[in-house]
Amino acid sequence: MSTNIFAREHKIQAQQTRVSYYFLLPALLFFVVFVALPMGMGVYTSFFKYTMSEFKFIGIDNYLNLFKDEIFVRSVKNTLIIVVGSVPIVTIFSLWLATIIYNMNSFSRSFFRAVYYLPVVTGSVAVVVVWKWIFDRYYGILNFVLQGLGIINKNVAWLGQVDTAIWCILTILLTTSVGQPIVLYVASLGNIDRSLTEAAEVDGATSFQVFWRIKWPTIMPTTLYVVVITTINSFQCFALIQLLTNGGPAFSTSTVMFYLYHNAFKLFEYGYANAMGVVLAILIGVFSALQFKVMGNKIDY
Amino acid sequence: MDKAKLTPYRLISTLLLVAVSLTFIFPFYWIITGAFKTRDAIMAKIPEFFPSVWSMENFDKLFINPAWQWFANAVIVSFASMILVCLTASMAGYVLAKKRFAGRALLFSMFVAAMALPKQVVLVPLVNLVSSMNMHDTLWAAILPSVGWPFGIFLMKQFAEGIPGSLMEASRIDGANEWQTFVQIVVPMLKPAFGALAIFTFINTWNDYFLQLVMLVKRSNLTISLGVATLQGEYSTDYGLIMAGAALGAVPIVAIFVAFQNAFTQGIALGAVKG
Amino acid sequence: MKKLLALVLTMIMVLSMASFAVAEGTTTVTWWVFPTFGQPDGAAPGTYERTIADAFEAKFPNIKVEIETIDFQNGPDKLISAIEGGTAPDVLFDAPGRIIEYGKNGKLVSLDDLFTDEFKADVASEDLLGACSDGTTYWMYPISSSPFFMSLNKDKFESSGAIEFVNLEGDRTWSTEDFLKALDKLNEAGELGGSVYCGGQGGDQGTRAFVANLYGARIANEAKDSYTIGSDEGVKALGLIKELVDAGKLEAGTDIVAGDEIKLYVQGILPYSICWGTSAAANNPTDFEKISVPFPSDDSVPELEYLVNGFCVFNNNDDARANAAKELIKFICDDEEFGPKNVLATGAFPVRTSFGNLYEGNPEYELLSAFTKYYGPYYNTMDGFANMRFEWWNMLQSILVGTKDIPTAVADYTTNSNAAFAK
Repeated sequence: MSTNIFAREHKIQAQQTRVSYYFLLPALLFFVVFVALPMGMGVYTSFFKYTMSEFKFIGIDNYLNLFKDEIFVRSVKNTLIIVVGSVPIVTIFSLWLATIIYNMNSFSRSFFRAVYYLPVVTGSVAVVVVWKWIFDRYYGILNFVLQGLGIINKNVAWLGQVDTAIWCILTILLTTSVGQPIVLYVASLGNIDRSLTEAAEVDGATSFQVFWRIKWPTIMPTTLYVVVITTINSFQCFALIQLLTNGGPAFSTSTVMFYLYHNAFKLFEYGYANAMGVVLAILIGVFSALQFKVMGNKIDY
Repeated sequence: MDKAKLTPYRLISTLLLVAVSLTFIFPFYWIITGAFKTRDAIMAKIPEFFPSVWSMENFDKLFINPAWQWFANAVIVSFASMILVCLTASMAGYVLAKKRFAGRALLFSMFVAAMALPKQVVLVPLVNLVSSMNMHDTLWAAILPSVGWPFGIFLMKQFAEGIPGSLMEASRIDGANEWQTFVQIVVPMLKPAFGALAIFTFINTWNDYFLQLVMLVKRSNLTISLGVATLQGEYSTDYGLIMAGAALGAVPIVAIFVAFQNAFTQGIALGAVKG
Repeated sequence: MKKLLALVLTMIMVLSMASFAVAEGTTTVTWWVFPTFGQPDGAAPGTYERTIADAFEAKFPNIKVEIETIDFQNGPDKLISAIEGGTAPDVLFDAPGRIIEYGKNGKLVSLDDLFTDEFKADVASEDLLGACSDGTTYWMYPISSSPFFMSLNKDKFESSGAIEFVNLEGDRTWSTEDFLKALDKLNEAGELGGSVYCGGQGGDQGTRAFVANLYGARIANEAKDSYTIGSDEGVKALGLIKELVDAGKLEAGTDIVAGDEIKLYVQGILPYSICWGTSAAANNPTDFEKISVPFPSDDSVPELEYLVNGFCVFNNNDDARANAAKELIKFICDDEEFGPKNVLATGAFPVRTSFGNLYEGNPEYELLSAFTKYYGPYYNTMDGFANMRFEWWNMLQSILVGTKDIPTAVADYTTNSNAAFAK
């Protein structure tokens, strides 16, 4: 009797597994062919001197060279500046804006939400080219306005100077990054239990305490999501740099992603570029894991 | 809505909000007006904040290029990715949420781990792979790799977990097979998820530049983003023309967004709250 | 399941169609062009090329030609992704810099068979023939050649008084000293200086010629096995440029590329262009009168860079296509009617002496023809040229923004560029 049940259960289990894999097949196919396989090839070829005409095993030389390559180190630094700079700003800024927007009437709420989402739907390339025009040294409106206000007395090459180019990049990144978080925060502020906040206020809690004790825990999952998504997007920022500064001046805006592309498509150093890809993947992995560890332990999934 | 206390904090922050909003609206405004400015207005020492003459010359120049084709390509690529992602992700997400089978945990953690992986990391191998499939420089090359990205699976799984098992049980008792159960019971339950994922994928693909950059080469195969980037390379400071291209790409999507704003924002919010 | 099946089937169909579309008797060759041919009356890029292709197709009915236009900014990357993606063109119209690099990397079909004794005798220039080969194999079939030079905005030079220091006689050679005085005049008149553009790689021959000529430095040595801007003359020239930029007499073009410089010149922002040549002139009409001059140099004897326009054939493992491609380039360069016509469309001088003087009585071309005697050694086929170009604009950037002092920047450039020879 009991063996019978086991056998039946086993059969059901096997059938379930088979069915499941039928359903998984399309997704798995795409995943294996277009993600796992290239990743494997990338890791494998990162151990080769791999150029347009050469393919020679060189062990971990590519990786060793990476850390001797000052441009790569510079690019890692820039990438971290962009990530570390943009993630907190995007998170705090969008939360702040969301709280203001949330307290508005529904028309203004829709209006401002749309405004902040506008750069996202405009499309990254369109946004970059218009900002390029705005920042243009000779034709840009920014120079005109600032000169009119007497803040600068001659045209500034915003994208051509080490101390301004990275800020231009960060500004644009910011405008394209806060749209989604604001929408998310406005939605998640709506999930806060009103009775709790009111009770707390009656008990004489300051608005800061109300925010910290009651609202913050509720929006924590959203914050984690925002942080993770912004991190990934910031790591991936490429169009911005390729179209705006070409990594310059003097590599002050070169990121790992840009330098990787550069090595593959300008210098034909495919193996070396792949080694960069692997390092970048590890970097992103470490960052995401850290974020989950720091913020994730308070959240249930 | 809220108690309308006009505290100084609220006043200042609202003013700030409006000021910051200008930074977000201005680029779009500048694209639209720039697209209709004459060459002289673009190069004038004193910029025109509002075009004194509305001119179509930039669009005439734009359509010397296959700009409609670029637009159509972008639509095709975005739609195809959207459909394929929704299809594959819903099927996979459903079983990951609702079935117990060997290898489930392993597969799921693999998908999650790969989610953070940017496509660019696998740049060169991906080009080689697509080339070996004879697909390089076809629209498929810009579509299929983006379907492999497992974010959709993750999202669908989170949603599907909320579907009561009893519903599926009932369907099975009625004699429906697995596929029928999926189509008749699960898919309708996942409707909001489809909305969220469709919007998310569409916008992501529309905004994607990198994958398209390495996969599409021929002028007639470009998407509108690539086309605008190409114009930038060819005409450099001829900003009127470039804005015309940017406007062609941006206006339809912005219009759709404005028209369906609530559906959009709900979709986005749903996607994240569940994801 | 039906939907999915339909989808998969469509996919397979589309994919397979792509692969057997060529099965018929005609051969299709793709031809990629940089904007080297001038277009009639500002027509879209590729218009003139299409007329050539139509004539060719009429003569060879079983060959079809597809034309792709690319630009100097994005084109080079597209070529690489096409080469790696297996969608390389059959014919590319470019210059030796990239072509020889592709040839050395085994991506091209040897064109040795096109370099007949008749052709070599007709070209009659060792330098030109040398520019088409990596020393063992000919990879590029040349059509025309012309110098790179400077173009001045006559209005701006006249109104500022800078014209006084421009030599308008003879070959128009001028000294660095006169150039500096002209810059002063422009500056006093409130004009900008020229731009030392270095936002990217394209058109870098302009900045190289500018830097090298100021004090008679050389980009490469005679033996062509070392890059030599690190000489005292080179460092001095870079120092001068940095000084002029700091004084506001030159523009630090860290944010613009050659294409921008040309546009800014044409649009009347910059007073002169250091990236001028016959193709730039053919493709960029201006509202003002221009004066072509060679680069200024301390001894008034410039060494000019020059362009060799030519074609290469990619190895797509298809003999029929390769042969058709060779027919096409022979037609473009050697056809009785189209050969000379095409040379004229590039605005450059024919490499074949038998074409004679195509610009009889044109004073501008008499001048340019005089420039040819100042041609410096051709180093674009050297090993590591691609690397050197990358190092070049980055060196300029780091000097202009001051992240490195000049000796360090030059030393880094030299070490990295010469690394190619250590391999």
